[in-house]
Amino acid sequence: MAAHAWLVPLLPLVAYVFLLVLGRRAPEWLVAGVSTALTFISFLLSLGVFRDAGQPATYTFPWLHVGSYTLEAGIQVTRLNALMLVVVSAVSTLVLLFSKGYMHGDERFAVFYQYLNLFVFSMLALVIAPNLLQLYIFWEMVGLCSYLLVGFWFFKPEAALAAKKSFIVTRIGDAGLFAGIIMLFLASGSFDVTTVLQAAANHQLHLGWISNDGLLVLTAILVFVGAVGKSAQFPLHVWLPDAMEGPTPVSALIHAATMVAAGVYLVARMYPLFAASQAALTTVAWIGGFTALLAALIALTQRDIKRVIAYSTISQLGYMMLGLGVGAYAAGVFHLFTHAFFKALLFLAAGSLIHALGTQDLFEMGGLRRKMPVTFWTFLAGALSLSGIFPFAGFWSKDDILAGALRHGHPALYAIGLVTAFCTAYYIFRAFFLAFAGPARDAEKHARAHEGGWVMTVPLVILGILATIAGFFNSPLNGYGLGKFLTPDLSLYQTGLGGYMAPERADVTVMLISVLVGLAGIALAAALYARPAAVDRIASEGKAEDIGPLYRLSYRKFYFDEIYYAVVVAPGKFIAAVVDGFDRYVVDGLVHLVRRIVYLAGLCLKYTQTGQVQAYGTVAAVALVVIIAIAMIRAGGVF
Amino acid sequence: MGGAGAIQVPATSLLALAAILFCIGLYGALTRRNLIIVLVSIELMLNAANINLVTFSRLGASPGLHGQVFALFTITVAAAEIAVGLALLLAAFRTRRSTHVEDMDQHKW
Amino acid sequence: MQILWTPEMIAFFLISLAILACAVMLLSFQKVIYMALAIGGVFIGCAALYILLGAEFVGISQVLIYAGAITILLMFAIMLTNHEAVEPEARWTVRRVFSALGCLALAAVLWFVIRSVQWPQGDAATDINQGHPNAVAIGLMLFKTYTIPFELVSLLLIVALVGAVILARPPKEGE
Repeated sequence: MAAHAWLVPLLPLVAYVFLLVLGRRAPEWLVAGVSTALTFISFLLSLGVFRDAGQPATYTFPWLHVGSYTLEAGIQVTRLNALMLVVVSAVSTLVLLFSKGYMHGDERFAVFYQYLNLFVFSMLALVIAPNLLQLYIFWEMVGLCSYLLVGFWFFKPEAALAAKKSFIVTRIGDAGLFAGIIMLFLASGSFDVTTVLQAAANHQLHLGWISNDGLLVLTAILVFVGAVGKSAQFPLHVWLPDAMEGPTPVSALIHAATMVAAGVYLVARMYPLFAASQAALTTVAWIGGFTALLAALIALTQRDIKRVIAYSTISQLGYMMLGLGVGAYAAGVFHLFTHAFFKALLFLAAGSLIHALGTQDLFEMGGLRRKMPVTFWTFLAGALSLSGIFPFAGFWSKDDILAGALRHGHPALYAIGLVTAFCTAYYIFRAFFLAFAGPARDAEKHARAHEGGWVMTVPLVILGILATIAGFFNSPLNGYGLGKFLTPDLSLYQTGLGGYMAPERADVTVMLISVLVGLAGIALAAALYARPAAVDRIASEGKAEDIGPLYRLSYRKFYFDEIYYAVVVAPGKFIAAVVDGFDRYVVDGLVHLVRRIVYLAGLCLKYTQTGQVQAYGTVAAVALVVIIAIAMIRAGGVF
Repeated sequence: MGGAGAIQVPATSLLALAAILFCIGLYGALTRRNLIIVLVSIELMLNAANINLVTFSRLGASPGLHGQVFALFTITVAAAEIAVGLALLLAAFRTRRSTHVEDMDQHKW
Repeated sequence: MQILWTPEMIAFFLISLAILACAVMLLSFQKVIYMALAIGGVFIGCAALYILLGAEFVGISQVLIYAGAITILLMFAIMLTNHEAVEPEARWTVRRVFSALGCLALAAVLWFVIRSVQWPQGDAATDINQGHPNAVAIGLMLFKTYTIPFELVSLLLIVALVGAVILARPPKEGE
């Protein structure tokens, strides 16, 4: 089955080309139907690939001959890749279905599906890329799709700005990744992932100007910079919340479940490289932990429902990085797996709310529990999963990470994780209570609210079920099956981490503490936002009154945007203004001078163009005579 | 038959005649106002070329029929040229009510 | 250069004189219609020259096509346009002077070239018709050696014919 894995990305590409041929006037049912059906077949195929995944299977063909090096293209199916195929294609199918309802009536409906299909293709191809260059190509392609989709409503200036911001900020990370890839190539002589990792694990990377250990750390950090950009980790996290300007299905698919997880996937894929240097792993862990806490703190006070979930995504991605960084490889990947489902679920549920109400402001919602029962229950499932409440999916994966941090001797990171878990439970239930509990704060919008059609509720229900049960794949109940499934990928290499990739037994105390912390967060949120007595307080928060400095700090996202503007954007604009002035007055001046000279010459010479054919003929005849005469004289002997 | 015997006319004379005819044609083409006469002058130049062809067919370095055949082709092409030229002239006359070369100056600056 | 006053030479001089006279008249007449008549003289003179040179077929073709068809066509063109047209009095403008000087210079240059070259004489006794009458010999050559150019020329004629018809057709309403 692994040999046919190339079909998995191919089908969305077929859908993309098909939609491209159909054009933008194609009927909606056809567009959505073809896309969903083909991606669903992709999903079934990837299930087959996943079932048969074992030893890494590589299928390549020579693509380019550059000097003596032959660049190969193809696919590689490892256990991790197969798992990613399943996750991506599953979420993609559901989001494609959901979009039918959400985007209904948009005049660029077909274009939206084109972009989505192109994205699904790029993401699937990224996941099974056998060499770093191919991976980088698709890495950029998903970035491009993200740009196109964030800016899908480009006529909104915020959307256009957000698209630009997300593209540029991730480019910073991509530059790091590219540098890392080049250095790995120079040091190992190959782009092939297996070769590179083998060389890294055996400490065989060589470059003249840097020690071998230093090279390991440097390349690992550079690759990690790419992951930081894509996965919106501190300090490149600023783009993801703005990217919420895109349509909500896009947020669910790209900015929650798949593309942003590509950074985590990259670290997992290159794990032997990171494992070979303790410094790199520590960096990953601390960046992850810090991001998790930072984003959770910001999410506490946001009033836009999508921004709450977006910061939550950043925070959870930080968790994954933390898990990978402390050496809990399986736990990190497992959290990626469960997070894809419950975060896609939360986004789609939020999309359902936005679709029904026409607003993203939590303080304009409220009292929707009876109006939108499906959304209510599925959102609840997602929120419980995110909060890490037993037995929802998030519980198992988050707990795995926390337990891993403790077990591998990082109590500080464990503490950060716990605080984050508390904040997580609080902010997501704050959003939950604000949306569903209490009285309707905007009567007119509340009256209009209704549940979407089956295309919207079915994905919600499926994802709700997955968010509830996905945790059992790696729970002690089935003996940490996913971890056991994944770790053989790593035992190919001398990682030095061998034994403790996946835990052997559950740590009940840690679990208990996590659940208690989560419940405490929920309780606090309930106390502040669900009690009938809280109505006035909510109203005053909605009007942004009586806000303390700490609240403002969180609400203003720790002023990251402002700081970046002052430090990076403003100097950049200054340099641009100088260069612009030079271009405008010096370069353009020269160009205008040349233009003026040519123009004057033309002005004089135009009078030779009398339009009289015979005048031209006379000139030609005289010239002919002159030429013949010259030729005669040169030949000699005539006169 | 004329083809059999030697021709006493020197090639130089024939070539000179053709050259003079060509120059007259050129002068006409460059100075006459009437478009028909310009076309006629061009025919004169073609005829001058034809005389050369036929002359060399007989008095050239290697006498043969090629020159005459080429002259025939020239005549054919000239016929085509004059037909198209006169058709153009008629079309131009219809729009401008004039056959004067000076009036056809749309391409003036 | 010695001039041998053979009958051929005399005929050549007479024909040349006629051609040049017609050509000069062509340029000196004021009325367009006379000019068209003068060109007929030039064409016929050329035909006579061809026949003198032993190219009977070309000569006859010249008479048929040039003196017959083309001259008549010119007449038609003149009649269809303003046949009263009179070539205006020649004035010596700068352009005209340059044209005249250019043509004279060209004639002089050509004359020098013709004078200075020792024209190689092939074997004048060769029978270029290879025993056939001239028309038969040319026919053989056209259909054997020059088949493809011959066909191409016929194609050119068709194109010219159709093109001329389309160009000369009066425009329909609304075009």
